Amino acid sequence: MAGDEVKIETSEKQPPPCNYNLPKLRERVKQYIDKHHYDSALFWADKIVSLSNGNVDDIYWYAQTLYLTGQYHRASRLLRNKKLDKTNTSCRHLAALCHYECKEWQEALNILDLVENNNMRQLTQSFNESHFDLVMKETEHSINLLRGKIYEAMDNRNLAVECYREALRQDVYCFEAFDLLVNHHMLTAQEERELMDSLPLSSQCPEDEIELVRFLYENRLKKYNKPKDFKLPDSLNILKDNMDVIVNLSERHYYNCDFRECFKITSMVLQKDPYNSQCLPLHIAVLVELKKTKELFYLAHKLVDLYPNKPVSWFAVGCYYLLIEKSEPARRYLCKATTLDRVYGPAWLAFGHSFASDNEHDQAMAAYFTASQLMKGCHLPILYIGLEYGLTNNAKLAERFFSQALSIAPEDPFVLHEMGVIAFQNQDYLAAERYFKEALQKVQCVGEQVLVEKWEPLLNNLGHTCRKLQKYEESLEYHRRAQIISPQCPSTFSAIGYCYVLMGNNMMAVDYFHKALGIRRDDTFSTTMLTNVMEALMSEMAPNDDDDIPEFTIPGKLEISQTGSEKEILEESELADSSSMAIEEVDMDNSD
Amino acid sequence: MADFSTCQVFELPNLIQIKTDLIRANKECSRRKLLNSAKWAAELSSAVDASVDYQQILLLQEPKDYYDEYDKFALASSYFDLKEYDRAVYFLQECSSSNNYFLYLYGRYLADEKRKVDNASDSIGPPDHLENEHLKTLKIELSKKYIMKELDGFCLYLYGIVLKKLDLLKEALEMLVEAVNYEPLHWGAWLELAVLIPDKETLLSLSLPNHWMKNLFLGHMYLELQLNEEALKIYQGLVDGGFSKSTYIVSQMAVVYHNMREIDMSVTAFAELQELDPYRLENMDTYSNLLYIKEMRADLAHLAHRCCDIDKYRVETCCVIEKPLLFIKIKTSKAVMYFQRALKLNPHYLSAWTLMGHEFMELKNTSAALQAYRQAIEVNRRDYRAWYGLGQTYEILKMYHYCLYYYRQAQQLRPNDSRMVVALGESYEKLERLQEAKKCFRKAHSIGDVEGMAIIKLAKLHERLSEETHAAAAYTEYVNEANRQGIFNPEDLSQAYKYLANFNFAQGQLDEAYAAAQKCTEFQETREEAKVIQYRTLEWMTVVGL
Repeated sequence: MAGDEVKIETSEKQPPPCNYNLPKLRERVKQYIDKHHYDSALFWADKIVSLSNGNVDDIYWYAQTLYLTGQYHRASRLLRNKKLDKTNTSCRHLAALCHYECKEWQEALNILDLVENNNMRQLTQSFNESHFDLVMKETEHSINLLRGKIYEAMDNRNLAVECYREALRQDVYCFEAFDLLVNHHMLTAQEERELMDSLPLSSQCPEDEIELVRFLYENRLKKYNKPKDFKLPDSLNILKDNMDVIVNLSERHYYNCDFRECFKITSMVLQKDPYNSQCLPLHIAVLVELKKTKELFYLAHKLVDLYPNKPVSWFAVGCYYLLIEKSEPARRYLCKATTLDRVYGPAWLAFGHSFASDNEHDQAMAAYFTASQLMKGCHLPILYIGLEYGLTNNAKLAERFFSQALSIAPEDPFVLHEMGVIAFQNQDYLAAERYFKEALQKVQCVGEQVLVEKWEPLLNNLGHTCRKLQKYEESLEYHRRAQIISPQCPSTFSAIGYCYVLMGNNMMAVDYFHKALGIRRDDTFSTTMLTNVMEALMSEMAPNDDDDIPEFTIPGKLEISQTGSEKEILEESELADSSSMAIEEVDMDNSD
Repeated sequence: MADFSTCQVFELPNLIQIKTDLIRANKECSRRKLLNSAKWAAELSSAVDASVDYQQILLLQEPKDYYDEYDKFALASSYFDLKEYDRAVYFLQECSSSNNYFLYLYGRYLADEKRKVDNASDSIGPPDHLENEHLKTLKIELSKKYIMKELDGFCLYLYGIVLKKLDLLKEALEMLVEAVNYEPLHWGAWLELAVLIPDKETLLSLSLPNHWMKNLFLGHMYLELQLNEEALKIYQGLVDGGFSKSTYIVSQMAVVYHNMREIDMSVTAFAELQELDPYRLENMDTYSNLLYIKEMRADLAHLAHRCCDIDKYRVETCCVIEKPLLFIKIKTSKAVMYFQRALKLNPHYLSAWTLMGHEFMELKNTSAALQAYRQAIEVNRRDYRAWYGLGQTYEILKMYHYCLYYYRQAQQLRPNDSRMVVALGESYEKLERLQEAKKCFRKAHSIGDVEGMAIIKLAKLHERLSEETHAAAAYTEYVNEANRQGIFNPEDLSQAYKYLANFNFAQGQLDEAYAAAQKCTEFQETREEAKVIQYRTLEWMTVVGL
């Protein structure tokens, strides 16, 4: 980055006072840097500084090589000794960067802040006016980006957001700033939109690139706040095989809860590019959703072997333990992931889940709170906090958190669903119905096809609500739909059964309770209901379909045969019986 | 029957047409590895006597895309034959021809089914948790294709069975109806459809193709719905129409006779069947049941040995072997073992589940019996024996409401079987709902009581309710019947005579009272009482002055 800028400067420099071919040597240093022979570059850069008698540009490159060989303090000292950090913006940036690398945030910030007090005019005069503007502009956004990073590292997120935003406005191509804003969930969906609209695309990009940049950025924006379809504009069809675009597509599928489709794509991507860093977290998430423990185990092992320093590796391990319901190791590894990268949001959320699955609500909430502070623009931690409150029977607080989540993501069906559940618990069925229906509408606007399995609870809850509102037909309809998207679910069966009971159709009710019990035998609700309904059914049901069988009213004539002969018959038949028994030893009673 | 007007027998097309159709069906099905349907079509076709121009048939145009992917098809079909389904599926990925696409989906389905059977535990009963991930994936894929209308008749059939497996019976029914409309020659689709039709109303409401195959389907359906006369009519029509040599039709007719309790006719039909096709195992379990009822032991033993020789590991064989075991009273646990083997071989084999339920009842293992019966109902809801068995089991468990429910189900399936009605009546009696009980016994008597128990039970009920005239009437009926048939329970009969004697005495009909009392004296238990009545009757006679 800095190299290009300085290159322009060098072309303007005076010829060196010695007779060595310094331009050629400088060229050589850059070549070495390109080829990652940093030590050779360092050696020659050092020599050039002496040969050119302390040319600013050469010093900059010397510092650069020091930086590249990891000698941060040396580089910084070099630049500051020559006071270059105060006079040259590129050098200032590099010096601050060195301190940033050493995690000396305050020091780095001091270097950057010094300029503010400096008199810029002074410097301006020494350069050609227009050229300086260009250089200033080019370094300005780097400085803003760095400043943002420093602020973020110092937990000063609001200032960091400002800096990133500024950097992006100064250079719309500065993807890093954009990525940090989006990936660290710093902005709400609304703010992200505003940022996109405020980008000076038309002034900074050539005509034909505007659409490209806009598409690529918008493609990255938040996806989980509401379900939506993914479309590639026709003019950019050429990008359809770009991994990034494909991964974004699968991410879209993930947030639309079409996990199988997402899994298909991520597996395909990882086959081509096994360690695609953008795809990996998504792949891990989808493996968890689909409960593919074996695959996750293998993947986590590979990642830990290859990238023990990346949080995503440990995140994968943690997720594996979470999936096999071993919260203790899960916590340990997720914790490791968060120490590697403090702002790694997914790990914090998973950390919270590991407590939540053990019913340790307070600790879970603590983890979610941390996550919510780290990811200001993300409503998920708040949603989970609300859920935990709901589980601890604190409906009031739960509702408050849900509304907060709703204010961040007003169109997320998950939040609307939870709001509906709370309303249901408060016995405000009309409100619950409204929320559920709204959520359903949001879900349905996606995908021309059938609903995905994930929404089975939503449909069932709608069914329950309608039942409470005594709209039995409607309720049945919703339960049926739930049954279609997620077949063989015992609770759906018993809900349908219950509906039929209330509608007075005990015959069907018995059938459905049977089905429910056939799948889950220890379902107390269905068992009790079945017994009651069975009794009711049997007391109301006619013993036969037709009941016009004549009664025996008048005794008929007794046909009495001769006494003696009858006795004979009797004896005979007895005899016959016993004989057959004796011969064949068969008990004919068993035949049926 | 008037309401069957829409399901009348169709005019059969000429035999050449039928035979051509069947040969084509066989080809289509065997290319798709629908082996049973292919076999069925071939069997039927070989029984039809018609001269067909084979050149013409063999030259039938294969679809063009079939040859485009012929390599993949050949490879996959060999894997299929060796039951390496997953492997076949792998090589069929991304095939576009309809035949290969069907094989791809069918392979996935079969692979999953095979895994499920292999992983199933030895114990009976449903698995602890339903593992249907694969089926759901298949369902989603098929539903997407279905919406885009890209499924052919065979894929629709597959979609139907997947839906059925997922308990979405209504949707499955629709799908299979569509499948038979697309591909009326695919017998498997008709069979699957038959399982989903619970009653004749549903049958009449379906829009089925007016194809000659519908005749065969209706015959099968009527048989399943226990509408035996109608079934017989259809099969007779088919026999007259040129199918007389078909083993399938003959065996179906034999089963019809069996259901109609025309045992001799049925045995003859089965014997004929054995002549036609000595190595046939299908329906042999029904035959063995007949032989058992007729107590033709030698034949039964012969049949069992033969079946065992033909194929020891067929479900039918397991059921046939079990019958002689009943005769020689080998411990039923051994029979259970045979059933378990049968079910391991084919978990969807209905009779085995039901019979296993009976065996568990014998062994007094009620919970296992319940499981077995429930499985039987899962396989086929129309199996009245399983419903009846469930009722009996709950009766033992003294849960009479449940028991009522199950007997009622069984009775609805076989409205003219007195055993169910008597069982219903007994349950009502146990619940002290005597009016209903009386109704049941009356009904049982009116439809021809097989066991002769209904009327005496009715009489006793009347007696209990002190409805004397009714009781007397019923007892009289019983006595008359007993005398006519010569079969009775001495204890019941003596009770009947005693009651009648007392009743007539109270009514002042002294002659009858005397006669009845006279009868009573023939029985050990009532002899003393009867003498007292006789004595008093004579006394009265003299008083009255006769």
